[in-house]
Amino acid sequence: MADYKRAKWAEWADHIRSLDDPAKNYEKPEALDDLVVLDLSSRSMAGCYCSSLLAELGAETIRVEPPGGDFVRTYSPHGIMKDGTGLAYLQEGRNKYHVTLNLEKKEGRDMLLALAGQADVLIETYPTGMMEKWKLGYEELSAANPRLIYCSITGFGQFGPESKRQQFDYDSISQARSGVQYGTGEVLPEGKTFKDMPYAVPTKAGPWIAWAVSGTFGAMGILAAVHYRELTGEGQHIDVATPEAYERLHDYALHWYADQKVLNERFGSLDTALWLYGFYPTKDGGVFLGGLRLEMWKAFADIIGKYDEWKAEEWTALAPFMKKDLQLKYQAMIDPETAKYTSEELAQKAVEYAKSGRLAPITTVIAPIVSPWDAMHDKNWIERGMFTPVKDPVYGDVVCAQAQWKATETPPRTKWVCRPVGYDNGHVYLKYFGYGPKKLKELEKKKII
Amino acid sequence: MSKAFKGYVKNKYSRPAPLKGVRVLEVCTLLFGPAGPSFLAEMGAEVIKIELPPAGDVTRSLNPFGWLYKEQGPMFMHINPSQYDMALDLHKEEAQKIFHELAAKSDIVEFNLRPAVVKRWNIDYETIKKINPGIIYIEKNGFGQWGQYAEEDRPSNDGAAQALSGYAWISSFPGRPPLKQSIWICDVYGAMMGEIAVLSAMHHRRKTGRGQYIEMSQSENIMRAMGWVWPYQQMANKGAEPAGNRDLCICPADTFLTKDDLFCAIAAPAPDEFKGLCTAMGKPALAGDKRFKDHATRLQDANALALLKMIAEWARTKTAVEIEKLGLKNGFAAQRLHSGKDMNEDAHRRERESVKMMDDPLYGVYPEHEFPVMMSKSPPKNRWTVRPVGFDNDYILTKILGRSVGQINSLYEKGIVGKWKDMQGRRPPPDWDKTSGAILRR
Repeated sequence: MADYKRAKWAEWADHIRSLDDPAKNYEKPEALDDLVVLDLSSRSMAGCYCSSLLAELGAETIRVEPPGGDFVRTYSPHGIMKDGTGLAYLQEGRNKYHVTLNLEKKEGRDMLLALAGQADVLIETYPTGMMEKWKLGYEELSAANPRLIYCSITGFGQFGPESKRQQFDYDSISQARSGVQYGTGEVLPEGKTFKDMPYAVPTKAGPWIAWAVSGTFGAMGILAAVHYRELTGEGQHIDVATPEAYERLHDYALHWYADQKVLNERFGSLDTALWLYGFYPTKDGGVFLGGLRLEMWKAFADIIGKYDEWKAEEWTALAPFMKKDLQLKYQAMIDPETAKYTSEELAQKAVEYAKSGRLAPITTVIAPIVSPWDAMHDKNWIERGMFTPVKDPVYGDVVCAQAQWKATETPPRTKWVCRPVGYDNGHVYLKYFGYGPKKLKELEKKKII
Repeated sequence: MSKAFKGYVKNKYSRPAPLKGVRVLEVCTLLFGPAGPSFLAEMGAEVIKIELPPAGDVTRSLNPFGWLYKEQGPMFMHINPSQYDMALDLHKEEAQKIFHELAAKSDIVEFNLRPAVVKRWNIDYETIKKINPGIIYIEKNGFGQWGQYAEEDRPSNDGAAQALSGYAWISSFPGRPPLKQSIWICDVYGAMMGEIAVLSAMHHRRKTGRGQYIEMSQSENIMRAMGWVWPYQQMANKGAEPAGNRDLCICPADTFLTKDDLFCAIAAPAPDEFKGLCTAMGKPALAGDKRFKDHATRLQDANALALLKMIAEWARTKTAVEIEKLGLKNGFAAQRLHSGKDMNEDAHRRERESVKMMDDPLYGVYPEHEFPVMMSKSPPKNRWTVRPVGFDNDYILTKILGRSVGQINSLYEKGIVGKWKDMQGRRPPPDWDKTSGAILRR
C-alpha cells in the first residue's frame, strides 16, 4: 500500500484507481480494434507517432516500409542502435505489424492499392505530389475505396504557394517555422553578442514536439473523420502541415503583432503574460514558481518570509506585476531567496503552507525542475504506470512512456515496441492477399518486398 | 496539387464540420482544461463552456505586458473560441440539477478541477452515469485522481509540468539552467491528448453503447511525447542531457546564425539530402569523408560536432534567404525562423487560411489561427471568438432545456445562473452595442 500520507479524500482516490489503474488495462476492450491503418511514413516521426496513437488504442496498424527499412530507423541519440534499430523508432513501432513493399515498382504499388482497398485509414508523409506521381494519391485510392481516410502529414501542406517545395519534413524545421522557437530562449543582454553568449539565441524544444503535435492533430482529424464516416459513409483526405499544427499552440503572438506591432521576443524562463510564473534557482538546481492569483503570489512572499518586508498586505491587484519592468525587478529579488533552499525543501514548504500558512488553504505552485532521469525514477509516475517496461518478444524489456491517460473502459496500452524490418510480411500478406511462402519468395526475388 | 483540396478555402462553408451533432459540456479554467473542448468546437461540436458567475475563468485576466484586446485577455480568446458561454453556480443544488439535465442531453463532459471536487458538487462520474450511461467523462489536472502528488493536493501549472517531466531540462543549452518554453506546451499538448481519448471513446460507444471515465495529468502526456529519452536512459543507463538547438538523433539538424544576423534551421540527414548540403557548401567531397559516411557515423558526438561547426561557419557567410534557396535547389531542408510578423504577413499561411481574419459580432475583425487539420469533405472552422460570462444562458436554457422566460428570470433571481461581473474580460467589450452576438434576449 501507499507509503505516503493519505489524503482526507483517500477513499475517492482508491475508488478511481480501482476503476482505471493501468495495471488492469489488459482486462479491458480496445476502442479502435475494428479499424485497419496503413502507415507509409517516410523520414517523419510525425506519421509514426500518429499511427502509434491509433495502434495504442487497438487499431490493426500495418507499417509499410521500403525494403531495407525506413530512414527513421537510423534516428538515435549519439547513433546508438539496438539490433539494427535506433532508439527513437524502437518505441514508436509500438503495436504495429511491419511489412516491406517497394513502391518504386509497379507491382509494389498494385499491392499497396489492394491493401488500401481493405483499409480504413492511410497515413503518409512524402513531400506533396510524390504519392500522386506513384498514382497512389487520394484520388486513385478513394476511387478504389471511397471509405478510406487518407491523412497526409507534410511540411507545407497539400495546397498553397509553398506546397510545391519538394523537401522532407523534419521536426527542427517545423519548430523554426512555427514562431515558437523565435520567442523561446535566454535573452541576450545589451552590449553582448551571440559570440559572447552562443546560448542566448532562439531555442527549440529538445523533444520532437512539432512532430508529436502534428501526429496528434492528425490522429484527432482521423478520429473525427471516422465519426463523419459513420454519418455519411464517406472517407476523405486530411491535410496536416507540421509547422501550422505546432503554431496553433502558439497563443497570442499572431494577434499581438497585428494589433500592437509587438513581436514575441525571448523572455528567458519568465512568461510575458503571467505572474508569478517562471523558473528560479535553488541550492541544488531550480524550481518552477507559479501563482496566477494575487493571493497565491502573496502566499509565496509569505513562504519565503518576505510578506512584511515587501508589504504584500498592500498589494491589491496582480495585473501590475505582469508588466515587464516589475517582472524583472521581482525576479532579481526572488532569486537570492529561493537560492537559500533545496528544491525539495521549497516544494514541501508550499505543501505545508496550504495546511497552516496565514493564507491557507491558498498556496503557491512550487515544483522542482528535474532531469528526465529523475522523472523516470519518480515513484509517483511509476505507480501511475508511466514507465512500466514493455515485455517485447523481440527486443526484451523496453522502457517507454505509456499509459498517458487512464480510463475505465478503453485505455491506451503498449503490447510490443517494435519489429525488425519486414518481420510481419508472412502474416500480413497471407491475411490480406492469401500469399503463402511460394509467392513471397517470388516477390522477394523481384525486390517487391 | 491534390484535387481534393481544390477551392478548399473558398468552399469551406459549403460542407459540414466533422463533429456535427456532438454536444460537449466543459467546466474548465486556465488552459489545460478549455483548450481541448475548443478543438471539438472548431471541429463542429456544440460546446458549452460553464463558468462560475460572475468572475468566471481566471484566464480572462491574463495578458502579455498589460496588453488586452478590447479589455479581453488575448490568450482567453485563443484558447476558448467558437463555444457557447453559460454561468452556473455549481455550489448550489439547483444549479447541479440543471447540469444533470444538460448532461443527460450531452455526449461529453470535461473538467479540470482538483481531485474529488466533482463529488462535492454531485456531478461526479457515477452520478452522471446514472443519468446518461453513455456519457464520456474526462477529468484533467496536474497529477490525476490518485497517486502521491495528487493526494498531497499539489497544485500545478504548465510550468510545473515542464519542470517535473524533464521536458525543460532537455530543452536548454548544455551547461545552462533548464529553459521554460514560451508556450504552455504541457497544457495544450495534454488537452490535445485528452481529445484523442474522448474521440476514441466516442467510437467505442458507437459500437457498444458504453461510455467511460477518463483521467489524465499534465506531465504524463508530455512524457509520452518525449519519445527516445526513456529507452535511451534505460539502455545507456544514464540521463538524457540538453543539446541546445542540435538534434541528438538527426545529423545534421541544427539552427544556425546567418550573415544577416538571422537564424536558419537546416536538416539534411538522409544520403541525398546530405550530399545536397555538401554541394551547396561547395564541399562535395565532405559527403565521402569517413567521419560523415553514413547517418549512424555522423551521429557520433565528435563527428556531429565537427560537422555542425563547419556548417555554422558556412552559414555565417550566407543570408537566411540564400540558405533557404540553396535548400530548395539542392534538396535539403532549410527554414528561416518565423516570428509573429511572418505569421501575419506570410502568403502561404493566408492562402491556406491557416491564419485567417475573424469577423466577430463582439470583438470585430482580427487575425486568428484556423484549426490546423484541413479535411476535404468536412472542413473544421473557427467561427467566432469568446463571449462574456453567462452570455448565452438564455439561449441554452431555452433551446436545450425548454425553460420559459419566467423560469429563467427566477433562476437569475436565485443566483443559480448569473452574468458577468462589471470587470475587464468578464463584461462585453467597451464598444458593444448591447445586441450584437446575443442569440436570445437582445
